[in-house]
Order: sequence, then structure tokens, then C-alpha cells
Amino acid sequence: MAVFLQSLISGILIGGVYALIGIGLTLIFGVMRVINFAHGDILMVGMYLTYIIFTMMGVDPFVSVLITFPLMFLFGGFLQKVFINRILNAVAQNQILLTIGLGLIMSNTVMLIFTSDYKILTTSYSSATLQVGGGVSVSTPLLISFLITAAITAALYWFLLKTDTGQAIRATAQDRDAAQLMGINVKRMSIIAFGLGAALAGTAGALISPTYYIFPQVGGVFTLKAFVITVLGGMGSVVGATLGGVLIGITESMSAVYISSGWKDVVVFVLFLLVLLFKPSGLMGKSRT
Amino acid sequence: MRKQLLALGATLALSPCLLAQKIGVINSMSGPEAPIGENITNGIKLAEEDLKKKGFNLQLVWEDDTGKPQISMSAMEKLATRENVAGVVGPYTSACSNAVAKLAEKYKVPLLIPAAAKEEITRQGLKHVFRMNAPADQYASSLIDAATALGRPKTIAFIYENTDFGTSTSKTAKDYVAKKGIQVVADVSYPKGSADYRSTLAQIKSKNPDLVFMVSYVADAILLMRQSKEVGLQPQAFLGAGAGFTTAEFAKERAISEAVISCTQWTDDVSWPGAKDFGTRYKAKFGKEPTYHAACAYASMMIMAETARNAGGDRAKTRDGLKAGKWNGVMGEVKFADYDGFTNQNNHQMLVQQILGGNYETVLPAPFATKKAVYPFPKWK
Repeated sequence: MAVFLQSLISGILIGGVYALIGIGLTLIFGVMRVINFAHGDILMVGMYLTYIIFTMMGVDPFVSVLITFPLMFLFGGFLQKVFINRILNAVAQNQILLTIGLGLIMSNTVMLIFTSDYKILTTSYSSATLQVGGGVSVSTPLLISFLITAAITAALYWFLLKTDTGQAIRATAQDRDAAQLMGINVKRMSIIAFGLGAALAGTAGALISPTYYIFPQVGGVFTLKAFVITVLGGMGSVVGATLGGVLIGITESMSAVYISSGWKDVVVFVLFLLVLLFKPSGLMGKSRT
Repeated sequence: MRKQLLALGATLALSPCLLAQKIGVINSMSGPEAPIGENITNGIKLAEEDLKKKGFNLQLVWEDDTGKPQISMSAMEKLATRENVAGVVGPYTSACSNAVAKLAEKYKVPLLIPAAAKEEITRQGLKHVFRMNAPADQYASSLIDAATALGRPKTIAFIYENTDFGTSTSKTAKDYVAKKGIQVVADVSYPKGSADYRSTLAQIKSKNPDLVFMVSYVADAILLMRQSKEVGLQPQAFLGAGAGFTTAEFAKERAISEAVISCTQWTDDVSWPGAKDFGTRYKAKFGKEPTYHAACAYASMMIMAETARNAGGDRAKTRDGLKAGKWNGVMGEVKFADYDGFTNQNNHQMLVQQILGGNYETVLPAPFATKKAVYPFPKWK
């Protein structure tokens, strides 16, 4: 029972961070219909940003989210305005090539600056735990990052549902042309959406840093994960991405214990295929015609 | 006249190639294996420098395999057919080395593998494939011998990454503990790069093993130990096989790395000729501690270059030279022998070390020991 609870809890906590990565990707896709293959690399940039802020200025990785979030927002906005904006109406292959290219440039630039050495952030609480009782322990940094994730997700929901800009973003996602006809500045919404997506990925990077390790090629793992999460939840659906992230986290954790850790990716992808078989548009997706 | 000019031009163009000793290097210089690959690159660069000082006219042809076997193979094809090298040093990972070994045999190019652990590589009777480092079974038997010398463990748990290196190391370890009468209570593999091993470690904890045997590359090793502390896994000893448990980064994480036992092919405080000097010069040149990969790569390149020169760049003669030769250098005595089903394998002496006070201290075998081992593993704070 202790093993079951332990794996359920760590699954949910890890899933929270996955969700944050997925939400960023789904937001970008929803608004621009661009599949961002550089998403993992943006996350990687966020990790290095956290690393710099931590080692140079001694700011705690979790506090540094306050700096990372706006910086990554600007970075995302810049990418959108300078690069992505030009290929919004291009064929899908070109969009994919552009984002892959941007990702490669990011990871290789970082490799030139920081070398390919693994960096590990060691904080005073890196391996601290909270005893929950019944032999179950929770990693303190993971718990903090989960709480921050939950807070950010809640704030994002509020922003998308209640504010004018949020509603304009959702309108753009629903129908770009109609939104434009209604007087929404679609280009600005795109910049905000990409900025938000990048900021969320960067924040996820910052939140993972204290418990994971940092190296220039780390992005690939998370790009793949982000895709599974968003497609599973339904492309463009923020609720779906949240759900997808937590679901993948729990599935990984559970299958590692009850099947084999070597097979946990297989279980995740089988689940993924099953969902697509029975609900091709994803858990929360609406099929588009 | 025109023909003569052409011939002259051709000779001029070819002459440096004819004189220079061409040796290929395949290594993981980018990609996920790059952090360890870099040590190999540095070791070879230091060897190149030393060889040039000795008056060798050496030309190295560098190929980056990015850690992928298929790229490693095309690099080998290129070196064998277009670059016409006398021999090849590399690649780094077991998966790449195993793929390239068969090609080396096909093209009859002498291949000296510096630091890949999988046993099978030199167990296929390949005549052109040589290996410097001790294979995976040595990691396993050295570590388990150390544990049985220090205490009386009865049960063992295995956790290893599901790569060539991880599975082959733990498989031989499992065969070895069966002979020693130690019971395997858990046996889990994991895909490398996972962020969360807590559930797996909690499961291992519930079996309460005397020994925990881990096989991982750099970063996973730190995560595994951090999360072992989190879930409160408390065996008599943590045995870390290879790569990830023998890096300076790992030793620096003192809260979680203290008293972890690992074994290595090489350290700079060992009494092998030139080892200390190699360590000092390496630190001066590259600004970091050399790993065993660097020493293996250095020794491999020195031996390959020397043999290739003596053979005049002829591949068959280089192969015979490697087979017949005997060297004594930074890696101790080197001889490529046939034993226990291995072909052209250097029967290398492994060193068992423990992290004490943030440093790797050799604890076994006795002639090389610098400190006394701490056993059992101290309680987590």
C-alpha cells in the first residue's frame, strides 16, 4: 500500500509539471495552428536561465520564476514577431522546419556557451523530504514546484476566462478570421500567446531544475512528452493539457512499479494510441471539420 | 608535358598523406553522450601532443558519431574506404562500439576501443578489434568481491538503465552473485533520462536489500542517489558500476554521494608509470580532473600511433603489431590477450574506490589502497 501511495503521489506531482509544459504547447497551437517543435528547447533555455540566476546571483530557483517568467515571455514574443509570424500561412512542413531549426540553434548556442556538461543545481533542500506517514515520503522541491504549477495554472485559467485579453486569445483560437473581423488584433494575440507559451515552458524548466539535471540536449525529451500530453488532451485545449499531464505522470509512475520501469514509455504510448483510437480528437478536443 | 605536370601535381598533393600517419578517431563529441565523450577527445588530444613531441608525423581524422550507432557505422565506412586510415581509435559507447566492431572486421581495419564496457564486443572472435578497458563483467565482479570482502551481504537489488551498458553489466553481476550465494530480491531497469525514480526506489526499499547495485551514466546517478535518500533506501552498501558514479560532479554532491562504492579503470593516484604526470598535465591543459575515459583514450592513441608507425601504416601489420605488443604506461601493463572467450582483450586490473570526504579514495585491492573502506553505509541524515 505504501508503494502504491508513494507512486501515486510522485506521479501526480511530476504530472503537474508535465501539465505546465503541455499547456504552453497547446496554447501556441490553439492560437496559431503552429506546432512548436522548439518547445523543449525553450524549456531548456528556461533551465539555463534559472541556472545562471542561481549561480551568479544566488537567487533560489523557485523565487527566480518571478524573473524567468517575464524574461521568457519577452523571448517568446520576440521569436513570434521575428520568425514565427512570417510562416503563419505557410504549409505545415515549413512551419515544422522553422521551429525545429530554431530549437537546434538554441540547443547548440547553449552548448557553445556552457559546453555539454551536465549541470546540477544543488540547493539546501535538493534531497529534503516530508514524511506523510505510512512510510510515504514526498520530495520537498517537487511538492513546492507542484504548488507553484497549480497556482500558475489557476492564474492562467482566470486570465483566459475573465480578462478581455484572455477572451480575445480564445476567440483567436476559435476562429482567426472571425476574430479579426470582430476587431481583435490577431497579430498581437499571437505574440501574447507565443510569449505565454514560452514563459510557461521556461517556468516549467525553472521548476524542474532543482530536481532534474540540465544539459543542452535536454529539450528533446520534453518536446516529445509535451506532444503526447497535448495530443492526448486534445490539441488546443488547456483543460485537456492539464488533464493529459497529470495522467501521463501517474501512468509513468504506476507502470514503473507494477510493470517495469523499462516499459513505462511503452505503457504511456499504448495508452496514447488507445485514446486516439476511441477519441481521435483527444480527451477534451473538439473535432474540427 | 601536361601529363608530367599532372603527375607532379599528384605526387605533391599526395606526399604529405604518404608521410603522415593517418589514424581515425570516432567519438561522441555532440549529443547526449558528449559530456563523457569530451574526456576521450581531451585524452586523445594530449596523446597527439605527446606523439608530435616525439617526432611522430600524425594526422588524426576526427568523426563525431553523436552517440548513435548508425552514424558511428557510416563514420567507420568513411574512415576505412575514403580516408584510408591505418587504424581507428573509438567509439565511446558500447552500442556504437559493437556496431562498428563488425565493420572493422569487414574492412580489416584495426580498431582499438578505449572505454566501452559491453563484453560481447571482444567476445565474437573479431581479429581486428582490440579493447583497452576491462569489460562490464569486471565492474560487476570487482564490486561484488569488494562487498563480500567488507561484509556479509545476503540479498541484492539491481537498478540499471536499459541500454547495452546497463543490461550487460547487470546481467553479468546477476550471474556472479548467483555463484556467491547472494539472493536477488529486486531487478529493475529504467529508461535513461527519466525524472522520477521514486516509485521504483520505494519498491526496492520494501524488499530491504543488503546491497543496491546501480548502473547509470552521469546525471541519472545523482538523481538515483538523491531519490534514494528521499525514500529512505538504506542498504549496507550502494554499489555504483561505472560511468555515472565515477565523475567529479557526482563526488561533489557530498550529501548523497558519501560512502558510495564504485570501481574504475583508472585514477591519477595509482602507481602506474606516468599516471600522476598525466593527471597533472591534463588538469593544467583542460582545467578539470581527468576521468578514466581520458586515460584509456590517451593510452589507446599512444599504442595505436606507435604500432601504426612501426608497421608503416599497413593495416595487416598494424593488427599483428597490436596483437604481439606489450606496453606499460598510464593504464598499467597492457597486452591484448585471448582468455575466457575474449579475443584481443586487455586483462585490465580494476580499482575499487569509495567516496570519502568528497574525494574518490581507492579502498581495494590492497596494494593500491589509499584509505580504509567505510562499511556498512552510514545512516541517512
